[in-house]
Amino acid sequence: MIRSDIIRGHLDSIILRLILEKDRYGYEISKEISTRTNNRFQIKEATLYAVFQRLEKKDLIESYFGDVSKGGKRKYYKITTLGKAYLKEVVVEWGETKEIIDLFMEGL
Amino acid sequence: MKKIRDYVDYLFKDIPESEKKDAVKEEVIQNLEEKVWDLMDQGKEEEDAVNKAIVEFGDIEDLKQELGSKPPIKKKKNMTKINLGYSVWGSALIIAMFVFMNFYYSPNVIWFVYPTFAVVWWPLTMYFRWLRTKENVK
Repeated sequence: MIRSDIIRGHLDSIILRLILEKDRYGYEISKEISTRTNNRFQIKEATLYAVFQRLEKKDLIESYFGDVSKGGKRKYYKITTLGKAYLKEVVVEWGETKEIIDLFMEGL
Repeated sequence: MKKIRDYVDYLFKDIPESEKKDAVKEEVIQNLEEKVWDLMDQGKEEEDAVNKAIVEFGDIEDLKQELGSKPPIKKKKNMTKINLGYSVWGSALIIAMFVFMNFYYSPNVIWFVYPTFAVVWWPLTMYFRWLRTKENVK
């Protein structure tokens, strides 16, 4: 499994992206991350909830209670307009970052 | 499923009580239970599933910070202006007392100037402190 400290700084964007596609709840997100990365990266649930708190505080996402599963009410997250704008910005920034890092990491 | 609830209680024990804490706790429990059922659907025994869910949960340092287990550092109020005002009034009173004593008890010798010089250092110091913080704010 890949070292998570490099990905760490981008968890916010990863989660925003997943919520952008559709409203999701906690476990669904962690599962989706594992599936999409073919289990090469797994997010720790503890980290996930910290990210939710942070994003919600910054008004990038909102939550609401959705359908009832076996256990209880699922808490769904929904991206806000601000969140969408933020994600857009982050994508541009990531493109530039990637180019810069590639300058030094490629061709060895 | 009691084990999950106990484990989450244990994880959150250091976090100060708040409505938010309870909400997050409920959410965590709900999602962990969902994970356990999902793992059981994939053919795991309940005990295995619970253990796996707990092990994979990770540590909650980040979450603690978000929920504020440490009290947020209060920004110190700028007191220099109040200090300056206090020193001006205080030294004025002291000087007035010296002036009164001087002219009441020994009107022939003017000595109140000497203690006045000593006392005036106080508001002067406060004045320059106040100036310095004003510059820092800019």
